[in-house]
Amino acid sequence: MLLLDYQNVLIQSLLTERFSGAPPVSIDQVVSDFDGVTFHLSTPESKTKILISINVKCFPELVQYNAQQVLEREYGPYIVAPEPGYDFSVLIDLENLPAEQEARDELIMKLALMKRNAMAAPFEKAFDEFAKLAEEASRYTSESAPQGIKEGGEVMAIHYREEEAIYIKASFDRVTVIFSTVFREETDRIFGKVFLQEFVDARRRVLTLQNAPQVLFRNDPPLELEGVPGLQRSAEDKISYVTFVLFPRHLTPQRRYENISHIQIFRDYFHYHIKASKAYIHTRMRKRTADFLQVLNRARPENEERERKTASGRTFRVQG
Amino acid sequence: MSQSLRPYLQCVRASLTAALALSDFASQTSERHNVPEIEAQSSPELLLNPLTISRNENEKVLIEPSVNSVRLSIRIKQSDEIEHILVHKFTRFLTQRAESFFILRRKPVKGYDISFLVCNAHTEAMLKHKLVDFIIQFMEEVDKEISEMKLFLNARARFVAESFLTPFD
Repeated sequence: MLLLDYQNVLIQSLLTERFSGAPPVSIDQVVSDFDGVTFHLSTPESKTKILISINVKCFPELVQYNAQQVLEREYGPYIVAPEPGYDFSVLIDLENLPAEQEARDELIMKLALMKRNAMAAPFEKAFDEFAKLAEEASRYTSESAPQGIKEGGEVMAIHYREEEAIYIKASFDRVTVIFSTVFREETDRIFGKVFLQEFVDARRRVLTLQNAPQVLFRNDPPLELEGVPGLQRSAEDKISYVTFVLFPRHLTPQRRYENISHIQIFRDYFHYHIKASKAYIHTRMRKRTADFLQVLNRARPENEERERKTASGRTFRVQG
Repeated sequence: MSQSLRPYLQCVRASLTAALALSDFASQTSERHNVPEIEAQSSPELLLNPLTISRNENEKVLIEPSVNSVRLSIRIKQSDEIEHILVHKFTRFLTQRAESFFILRRKPVKGYDISFLVCNAHTEAMLKHKLVDFIIQFMEEVDKEISEMKLFLNARARFVAESFLTPFD
């Protein structure tokens, strides 16, 4: 498994089972996802009505960036009042499902992508803002552009984890997405640096990646984030800022959906591979240590305490 | 094996074999004690001259002989941050298993990455030339292992980065 899935696999499999026409049972399950997101699947009223609620740490921030509208667009008829302790809920009636299998699968996928859709709101807002700014900018030459267009839109911050955040900024010729990420350990920091360096170099090195977004990383906040409150400037390079520059070709309506999903998964993907490398190195060291032990054990002379027998099978016995 | 590695290892092998002439020696300071004199350092007459063999400033071996024990410390090559962390992880991994390694010292001597302590009890129970073989093989393989791990990390990072960026095209 190289790339991570965008949807929540547990929700997907749970719903697939329920939708398949199996006899309804009561469910009460808490499902966790990346970035401290939790889901709650339950059947509060009757066994055929499944309530799915999501809790996102930064939901108030997302609402500011039109998350409610995005979720209404995606889940329109299913939305109900949020369950206490959660931010957003939908209710699925098993007796009232779409008839065709394809439409059902689509609905399952949509529900499993709830986290993605909630987090997509600021990205969509930025992409729309980009389109607007680009149109405005096309009316001016570079010299006569008014200040507002040159500067681009405001920086949208999503504090989706403790200490970590995504910042999104739209300008007339690109959208900048900045991830701040914290390394808890020295090893993670160094491994992370190796990985990030490869992200930066990949575009230059590989011909087929010329069209990929530009990636930059640094340990102090980038200039785009000047004046944003709550930025931490910590010693020992514990925090890294990873910048993705999305160019107009990534922002076209056809590419939009895929690219939003993909860039959201960056932090999880990145940390997942750091952990995976550490695990691999650990097993490797374990094996090497076993090899060394074997070599060392060769230095111990073999015990010759075995019972000695004559050719006819009789044994010696020490006379008491 | 590279040009400069062979004489380096040969020198370590010869010096270590010479230093491993150990005999049982009871402590002079406390009755009915028998301790490795190189660790106790109780009396200068029991210690022999320590010897450093270096290949370059980053790779060296310190052999400290005494009448009943020899301490051998190795500084493993670490040319950058990644190698440093890999060496640190690997030596820590080994020292945590010092119990089963008999001659491994739990803590390295200051300035070195890993230390071995060979006492007369070890040379009596084990074959001396095989012990030397072990040390030499350890030195050969630890460098190889570290550089392989580093190569693996770089290769993986490259692959991971490319696979992430490809779907954007």
